[in-house]
Amino acid sequence: MRKVLLTVLAAGLMLTGWLQSPDSRQIRAQAPAKTPPPPPLKLKVGSVAPDFTLLAFDGKNLKKVSLGDYRGKKNVVLAFYVFAFTGG
Amino acid sequence: MKAFQQNLARLEAADTQVLGVSMDSPFSNFHFASQNGITFPLLGDWSGTVTRAYGLAKEYDIQGVKVQSARRATFLIDKQGKVVETQVDDEAVDPTKTVEACERKKLKE
Repeated sequence: MRKVLLTVLAAGLMLTGWLQSPDSRQIRAQAPAKTPPPPPLKLKVGSVAPDFTLLAFDGKNLKKVSLGDYRGKKNVVLAFYVFAFTGG
Repeated sequence: MKAFQQNLARLEAADTQVLGVSMDSPFSNFHFASQNGITFPLLGDWSGTVTRAYGLAKEYDIQGVKVQSARRATFLIDKQGKVVETQVDDEAVDPTKTVEACERKKLKE
């Protein structure tokens, strides 16, 4: 009887150790981070792109650039990026 | 932005102007452009107004510091000012789809 109890106790300890191992803790911590899907874009295909005027620097002068400058003349690829000097 | 520069000749041949936008100052963007051989304008959306108008404002957590910037996104806007193609986050890194869309548009015109 005592032997059985000891075996159960040992098995229990091993199980606790396994549950608390860094690996399993990591897996549980990572799981929720994966779930939120990126939200869809607010500006949809077919809608009018909001006009804007921003500044560009050419090394000498600041120059105003507006989306409206290209209306009726050229297509515009508007490429938003996260930060300068961060790759891409 | 380098990927757009590599495709610039094709985009220009398809009647398309490339404009980069970030929440950096125009001065930082100028140096970024010179270092990377970028010849199209990189606009400085200092205040984030345009980034918000396009629904791209995003909070980044960089080593526990909260930073506001834009999501990476590409919009193809036609001559009438309408959005004809969008790409966001990782899919916006490679401009191939945008370039092909411009070339298809050019054929139609």
